[in-house]
Amino acid sequence: MGIRLLMYLAVILLGALIGAKVKIGEKLSGRLGSIQTACLLLLLMVMGIKIGMDREVINSFFSIGYSALVISVFTVGFSILGVILVSGYVTGGRK
Amino acid sequence: MTGKILGAVAAGVALGFFLLPGWVLDYTDLIIDIGLMLLLFFVGIDIGMNRSVFGRIRNMGLKIILLPIMIIMGSILGAAIAGTLLGMPFNESGAVGAGLGWYTLSSILMANYSNELSTLAFIANVVREVMAFIIIPLVAKKIGFLEAISPAGATAMDTGLPIISRATDSETAILAFITGAICTFSVPIIVPLILNL
Repeated sequence: MGIRLLMYLAVILLGALIGAKVKIGEKLSGRLGSIQTACLLLLLMVMGIKIGMDREVINSFFSIGYSALVISVFTVGFSILGVILVSGYVTGGRK
Repeated sequence: MTGKILGAVAAGVALGFFLLPGWVLDYTDLIIDIGLMLLLFFVGIDIGMNRSVFGRIRNMGLKIILLPIMIIMGSILGAAIAGTLLGMPFNESGAVGAGLGWYTLSSILMANYSNELSTLAFIANVVREVMAFIIIPLVAKKIGFLEAISPAGATAMDTGLPIISRATDSETAILAFITGAICTFSVPIIVPLILNL
């Protein structure tokens, strides 16, 4: 995982370097946003394909999906609540 | 955005389940890796264009660490409460929540303990990841940018990051990467710890 983290960091830093050095106009910036959204939706679709093609995941979902769903909802809900408690302190009251 | 994300994931699941031949699965990981790298590169460009964020993050200092701590604690507590409602031992359900969305590792970590729990950890964390994709834009809009990092957990540094970046701003994207990295490194420590309570 450490290598993967470094890879992600390197790609983000490369992007940041280009973003900082190359002047990107408003028009191109808007177009980059649209490309980003399209790539994101495509990536999510491929991730969906991966889940859909895994028969074991789909079958398990039908048998233990309810428990998994309840645990996930509570997990996500309480982690949001946790951050609500500290977000004002972390940002110094800034929204 | 939430509708588009839900549509993309649902279309993918339906395509994978009903239409696509088995060999496609050999290439999905590669496509996901390439797509993810491209999106992280775009996240980097956004950050580079807003360099003032670094100063603001520096001002937050060590307080940033509270974000992963609260996400980890909230995830474990939430899962333990859910487990109690479902009639499960709190340590088992708490350990499932401690997977923080990293479904492969959390299920491997529980494989020696129980096969059933390992499967539940896998599915619950897959569900968490998909749920995160769908609700991050909603949480960012209705509750707040920092709170939008929470649903992603460990995936805030990889698959969740492009969504957080699109739904919030560069400052939150950097905080999400740091939070996701800390959560990721915590999973192999906290899952066995909670399981053995």
